[in-house]
Amino acid sequence: MSDHHTPRLLRPETLTALGIIVAAAAFLAPTTTLRPISALLPAVMLGGLIVLSVLLLIADQRKASAGEDAVSMTRSPKRVIGAFGLILGYALATDLLGFYPSTAASIPLVAWLFGYRNPLGLAVATVIVVGTIWLIFDFGMSQDFPTGLLWKE
Amino acid sequence: MYSDLLNALPEVVGLTNFAAVVIGVIAGIVVGAMPGLSATMAISVLVPFTFGLEPLVALGLMAGIYNGAMYGGAIPAVLLRIPGTPAAVATTFDGYPMAQKGEGGFALQVAVVSSAIGGIASAFALMLLAPPLSKVTLLFGPSEVFWVAVFGLASIIFLLGGNPVKGLISACFGVFVSVVGSDPIYGSDRFTFGQLELLDGINIVILLVGLYALPPVIDLLETPLKTDGVNSSKLGTEPIWRTLPRMFRFWKTWIRSSIIGIWIGILPGAGGSMAAFMSYNEARRASKTPDTWGNGEPEGVAASETANNADTASALIPALTLGIPGTAVAAVMLGGLLVHGLQPGPMLFRDNPDVVFGFMWQFLFGAILLILLGGSLATNSFARLLNLPRPLLGSVIIVLMLIGVYSIHGRMFDVYLMLGFGAIGWVMDKLKFPLPPVVLGLILGGFAEENLRLALRIGRGDWLVLFSNTTSLILVALTVAVIVGPLIKRRFVNKRAQETAG
Repeated sequence: MSDHHTPRLLRPETLTALGIIVAAAAFLAPTTTLRPISALLPAVMLGGLIVLSVLLLIADQRKASAGEDAVSMTRSPKRVIGAFGLILGYALATDLLGFYPSTAASIPLVAWLFGYRNPLGLAVATVIVVGTIWLIFDFGMSQDFPTGLLWKE
Repeated sequence: MYSDLLNALPEVVGLTNFAAVVIGVIAGIVVGAMPGLSATMAISVLVPFTFGLEPLVALGLMAGIYNGAMYGGAIPAVLLRIPGTPAAVATTFDGYPMAQKGEGGFALQVAVVSSAIGGIASAFALMLLAPPLSKVTLLFGPSEVFWVAVFGLASIIFLLGGNPVKGLISACFGVFVSVVGSDPIYGSDRFTFGQLELLDGINIVILLVGLYALPPVIDLLETPLKTDGVNSSKLGTEPIWRTLPRMFRFWKTWIRSSIIGIWIGILPGAGGSMAAFMSYNEARRASKTPDTWGNGEPEGVAASETANNADTASALIPALTLGIPGTAVAAVMLGGLLVHGLQPGPMLFRDNPDVVFGFMWQFLFGAILLILLGGSLATNSFARLLNLPRPLLGSVIIVLMLIGVYSIHGRMFDVYLMLGFGAIGWVMDKLKFPLPPVVLGLILGGFAEENLRLALRIGRGDWLVLFSNTTSLILVALTVAVIVGPLIKRRFVNKRAQETAG
């Protein structure tokens, strides 16, 4: 995927620099309520982040002016967004439905969606992984896992 | 000085501690053999699982993984020309042509023996050099410790090369994360926004798993890599004891590459891949038949594999004595020490000699075990790992990440925090922001702040106390040199390039 036509303000490095500036400025506000010695290190770091991000922004915009291509973040954005979405979905499902049901569903789902489509292999892998987790962590180490907010209520 | 080293030995050879090293080496080879997974990632995922373990057991696992993964990277490098770890790139130059000629098994045996020799040399360097250095650093007071922390941050940022602005942003981010939570002196909340979960600060493991484990998992799912078709018939493997005599001619390369690897390991910011490349080039230059290199010369495999393993334990010399890691893995290992309440730095040698010296022995045993566990029979089995489907592997790692992070405090808040750091880590990874300064910033940020404030209290608020003795001034000078040196060098190189072009 060529990023040759990426608008100047939508270049990944520029967006990142702008994001850091906004976030650092937002975090800088609470330092005014702290004692000066407690605020010193965070304020210096946040100030540093702002200054450095401005430098990064300028450098990236200079590259844009010189006609340099923007950094390519990914060759398949759909797969990356899908991967992040599924991982977040797995965490939310664990929180709401509990660890074991979510894990038993997520392992084959993620593997199947990303290209491994052998039903027997998926079933065997899921049973082995979930079984081993139960055996080691639940049975062997008495580790508690989320039971699911839905069932609690 | 070395009596503590001998005193630590009996505990290390105990069954549990020894078993931890064995398991670590096997796990490390498995991880290293899978392209896309690295020792850094494996140790990041492992660290939360070690909470309930004795420190030496946990450290034994880490030492084993580090040693094993450095060799494991050679397996796909030789068989598929895909380096399992970045440090194995130079191994592909001659390892893959050897496999094409049906000598893949011999290439892997050269790799495992050379890796073990490099690892053993590196462990001895750690044992010999770290104790005297720690004696010196034990004399440091708060202001010197503060400057050591500043020097550590500066060295990793500016010696990493690449873009110093990005390195500085990474470090500032890491230090900022270290200040979240209660103020260490007054107890006032900083950036907790009413979240009780943040009062104790952000656990380093959450950051490590997010930064180092999530981005490779996304890469595993993003890029469908076909790695099937590896079977033992392509290897042409003989028993390792029969092939050993053919390797003795590499003895000069083993010595040279070990020295290069150890030296590179001690330098902050360099790492195994630089050691392997430098060693390969030197060995080729010293060879009587440089023309055969690149076409399946076993000595090339020996050079790169010796150096990338010689870099392992030596990277821990500055890490354990000063709290300054030489590589990303060493930075993650410092995190592993912290979760067990062991603060890297001079005090570690005084307060926990059994643990720190035991850790050194574990590195030595891990390197020796490589020959036994990574020998011919095991190499055939490990080669089959390349046939594992990557999406399945990715989904299993996601589950392990969630379990590890959740088990720290038994709450989902940490999992969401880890995912946040993972997203940041992925962006940083793609935009080539270095990750080690973030970890180092988190480790050294709190450490620097605590010692700065202690020094100021001793000096009754006078900032000149930070410059009041010779050691502090030397450390300030070293910090300035580390920052200014690369800038001057870059300007000099640019000027020379312009002159050449002109």
